[in-house]
Amino acid sequence: MTKTETKNILVYIEVAEGAPVKVSTEILAPARAIADQKDGQVIAAVIGSGIGDAAAKVAGLGADKVIAVDDAAYADYNLDAYADVLAQLIEKEKPEAVFIGGTQDGKDIAPKLAAAFQTGCASDVVATALDDGGNIVFTCPLYSGTILTDMVIADARPQIATLRSGAFKKLEDAKAGEVVAEAITVADDAIKATIRESVKEITEAVNLEDAEIIVSGGRGMGSAENFKLVEELAEVLGGVVGATRPAIEDGWVPRNHQVGQSGKIVAPKLYIACGISGATQHLSGITGSDYIVAINKDEDAPIFSVANVGIVGNALKVLPVMIEEARKIKAQ
Amino acid sequence: MAYLISEEAQDLLLDVKDFCENEVKEQCKEYDKTGEWPKEIYDKAIEMGLQALEIPEEYGGPGLSRVDVAALMEEMAKADAGFATTISASGLGTKPVLIAGNEDQKKRVCEIIVNGGFGAFALTEPGAGSDPAAGTTTAKKDGDEYVLNGRKCFITNGGVADFYCITALTDKSKGVKGMSMFLVEKGTPGLSTGHEEDKMGIRTSNTCDVVLEDCRVPAENLLGGEGKGFGIAMKTLDQARTWMGCVSTGIAQRAMEEAIAYCKERVQFGKPVIKFQAMQFKVADMAIKIEAARQMVAHALTLMDMGLPYTKESAIAKCFASDRAMEITTEAVQMFGGYGYSREYPVEKLMRDAKIFQIFEGSNEILHIVTANNTIGR
Amino acid sequence: MNILLCIKQVPDDSVEVAMGADGKPAIEKITKVVNAFDTYALEMAARLTESMNDGSEITVLCVGPDEAKNSLKNCLAVGGTYAYLASDAAFDGSDPQGIALILKDAIAKLEEEKGKFDLIFTGKEATDAALGQTGIQLAAQLGTGVITNVIAIETADGKAVAKQETEEGYRTVETALPCVLTVAKPDYDPRYPTIKNKMAARKKPINVMDAGILTDADAVGEAGAKIVSVKVYEPPKKAAGVKIQEETDEESALKAMAMMADAKVLG
Repeated sequence: MTKTETKNILVYIEVAEGAPVKVSTEILAPARAIADQKDGQVIAAVIGSGIGDAAAKVAGLGADKVIAVDDAAYADYNLDAYADVLAQLIEKEKPEAVFIGGTQDGKDIAPKLAAAFQTGCASDVVATALDDGGNIVFTCPLYSGTILTDMVIADARPQIATLRSGAFKKLEDAKAGEVVAEAITVADDAIKATIRESVKEITEAVNLEDAEIIVSGGRGMGSAENFKLVEELAEVLGGVVGATRPAIEDGWVPRNHQVGQSGKIVAPKLYIACGISGATQHLSGITGSDYIVAINKDEDAPIFSVANVGIVGNALKVLPVMIEEARKIKAQ
Repeated sequence: MAYLISEEAQDLLLDVKDFCENEVKEQCKEYDKTGEWPKEIYDKAIEMGLQALEIPEEYGGPGLSRVDVAALMEEMAKADAGFATTISASGLGTKPVLIAGNEDQKKRVCEIIVNGGFGAFALTEPGAGSDPAAGTTTAKKDGDEYVLNGRKCFITNGGVADFYCITALTDKSKGVKGMSMFLVEKGTPGLSTGHEEDKMGIRTSNTCDVVLEDCRVPAENLLGGEGKGFGIAMKTLDQARTWMGCVSTGIAQRAMEEAIAYCKERVQFGKPVIKFQAMQFKVADMAIKIEAARQMVAHALTLMDMGLPYTKESAIAKCFASDRAMEITTEAVQMFGGYGYSREYPVEKLMRDAKIFQIFEGSNEILHIVTANNTIGR
Repeated sequence: MNILLCIKQVPDDSVEVAMGADGKPAIEKITKVVNAFDTYALEMAARLTESMNDGSEITVLCVGPDEAKNSLKNCLAVGGTYAYLASDAAFDGSDPQGIALILKDAIAKLEEEKGKFDLIFTGKEATDAALGQTGIQLAAQLGTGVITNVIAIETADGKAVAKQETEEGYRTVETALPCVLTVAKPDYDPRYPTIKNKMAARKKPINVMDAGILTDADAVGEAGAKIVSVKVYEPPKKAAGVKIQEETDEESALKAMAMMADAKVLG
C-alpha cells in the first residue's frame, strides 16, 4: 500500500470472555495521542460473536468509531479468519497505522497483516512518538530489554505494530465514540489452519498485568515451603504472587505466575522481589514497576541495580517481619 | 581453562560442562550419601559417549589427544570425583590390552567399551598393595586353558565391569618374572565379585573384591605372554596414574570455586570475607597449586602422546596433584568455617573424595620411590 | 518426510548487552549460540523423525554470517542431517519480511535437490530481537498454513496436528502439509550431542548459498527493509536506590517497611 491512506489509526481489540483484554484498552491511548496530533481518527475493530458489550466498552475508551464484526462464524478465534477480516477492514478504512495488543494471538495477526500488505511491522512496542516526516516512531526492546531501538516504517503503509501490555496507560475520560456494525465474510480457502479444541488447564486466573502490588519469589527462596512466605505477604498486601523461571521449574508455583521475558511483563505500583538475583530475562519484565523492593543475600545481585529499596539479607528472616508489619498497617 | 586443546575439544568441553552441570553435579550429592550406584547418570554419560574418550580412533574412539581428553576429564571430576574415577578406571582396565594385547584382544575390549561396557584392572590383593609382587593369585596351565585361583580386593569397577585384566602367578618360583596377566570377561564361571567397600569418598565409584575359584580362562586370553604380567602392570600404572592427577586437579578446582563463591556471600565484620587479604591469599595459594598440578598432568600426557618416556613425569603429576588436592580441599573446608564441616555444604565431600588419590594407583610413598629412582639413576 | 529447520544464531541471551563505544550494541564478545527456541524446534523435529523411523531427514537452514557455520555444526550433532548457510552482505539489514524472502528463495533452491519439504520448523522467536514474525511471514510467502507456539506435534493423512501453548492451557490446531510450525518450549529439553556425533558433525560440509539465489534482490537487505532502526540506545538507568543492611535482618525489614509506608506504595 502506498501513502494514499487516511490519517486514521485502526486498533484491533482482542476480546476474551465477552470483554476487551487489558492491553487492547491500553493501546487506544497512544493511538488517540497520535491521531490527535494528525487530526485523524481512532477506529477500533472488534471481532467475535456476541461482542456488543465489548464494543460499547471500547467506545468509551478513546475510539472515535468502533467497528463491530459480530457473527457466529467468529465465535472462536482463528488466525486466518481474524487476519482476513482485519485485512478487509484495512482495505476499506485505509488507516495509516494498525495497532494490535501484544498478546500471543496479536503477535501472530500483526505479521500476517504485514505480509498481506507488504509493509513493516514493529513488535513489542513500549513507546510511540511522531517524527518530523509524520511517521510513527516505535520504541522496541532488544536483547531482553537491555537495549532499546526506535523503529520507523517510512514508506510502506499501513504501519503495523504490536504494543506491549502495561506499557501504556488506559485513557480515563475519553470522548465517547460510536459503534457501527460491519458484516464481513471470509472465503473458505483463506482458512489454512483450524482449531479443533481449546483447553483451559490452569484454572486459577492470575492477573499480573493488572496487579497494583506484586510479591515475587525466586530461586533464593529455597523450597516450596519457604515460597509460602511470598504468597503470605502477597495475600496480606492484597497483591498478586509472581515468580521467576527457577521457582516455576522447581514446581513451587504454576507457570502463569511467571514474570519476565518468557512470562508476563508487569508494571505494578509496588514490586517486591524475594530471593531473586535479577537475571536480564527477569529484569526486563519488571522495569516498568513504579517502586521496586528487593531482598537478596548477595549485595552484588543485579536486582539491586533496579530496586528503589534493596534489603541485603536473608529473605526467610526478612519476610516474616514484613508480613507482621503489613498486617499491622492493614489493621489500622 | 588452562589446558591447550584443539578446537574440537573446546567445542566438546562446552557440551561436557553442560552435561556435568545439569546431570551430574547436584545429583551425586544424594548418591554420595547413600553409596548407591548412580546407574542413570552413567547411562546418560554412555549415551553421550563419555566412557569411550580414551579408546584409540582405530578402534572406534573419538580420536582426541590425551590433553584434549584431560580437559574433559577434569570437568567431569569437578562435578563428581567418583563419576570421573569410574570413567577413568575403565581406561585403566583397557590399558593392559592396548599395551600388550594382540589385535583381536584390543578389538574385543575396545568394542566392549565403545558399546557402553566397563573395564577393570585387578592387581591388588589383601596381601599385595604397594608390594604387588607379594600377590598369591595363581594361574595353572591346563591344556588350552589356565585355571585361576585367588582373591583381588579394592578393585574399582569390580562389580560393574564387563571385562577384567587380572594378574596371576603362572610360575611361583620366578617371583615377579612369573607373573602373567589375563583378560577375563564377566560371566566366566569361577569369576565372582563381592564385598563392596563402604568408602569414605568417591562413593559413586564401585569398589569391591574380585574372587577367582577355579576360574577357567582360555589360553588365548593371556596378555603378551607368560611372565610378562608384572611389566604390563607397571606400564599400565605408569600411564593411568596421570589420569588420577587429572581427577585430583578437578576436585581441587571445584573446592576452590566453592570456597570463592561462599566467601563472596559470607559477611563477617561488616563485609564479605573474600575482601580480607587473608582469604585472598588462601585463594591465591590454591590457584597456584592447581595450575601447577594441571600443567604437570598436561606435560605427562603430552609426553605420552609424543611416544617419549613419561614414567617419572607421570609419578610426579599424580603425587603432586593428589597431595595438593588434599591440602586444597582441607583449606576449602576451613574457609567455609563451621558450615564447611556440615554435609549440607559441598566441601566436606570434596575432602573425603580427595584422600584416596594419595593412596591408590601407586601410593604417593611408592611414587617417591619411582621419582627418586628415575632421578638418581644408577 | 522431508523436514526443514530454520535457525538463527544469536548472542547468548543470559549475558546483558550494553552499548559499545561505536554506538552499536556490544555483542561481539558474547558467545554466539543457536537461538534457544530453534534448539527446541530441532529436538521436536528429531523426536518426530525418530518416531516415524522411516528415513526422514532434517535439513537445517540459517540466514546469517559466516560464523553461523558453528551453530549449524552444532545442529548437525543433535539431529540435523544437512546444513545450509545463506550468507551474503546483501542480506544484511533485512527485516523479517526480507528474511522470509531469502528463506523462500533458499527453500526453492533446496527443493530442487531434495523435493518439497513437508514440515518447516522454526523457533517461535529469536532471543535477540524477539519479534516472532519470521515464521508467519515465511508461511505467507510460501502460501502455507502456520501454527505458532507449538509444544507437541503429530502428523497423519497429510496433515499436521499441533498442540499450541496458550496462556491458560493449549489449543489443538490442524493444518494441511506442507506447513510452517513455530515452536515454544515443550516439556523436554534438547538432547546432548554425543561425542561421536559432535565430532562427525565437524567433518560434515556446510553448503553456502549467496545472493545468487534471490529472485528479487531489491526486496531484501537494508534497501528492501520496510521497517528500519533509526536509533539504538540504552534505556534510562533507574536512579540508584537505597540499600539497607542493618545489624539484623529483622531490623532491615522494619526499616524497609517504614520507607515503603512513607512512599505510600503499600496501598
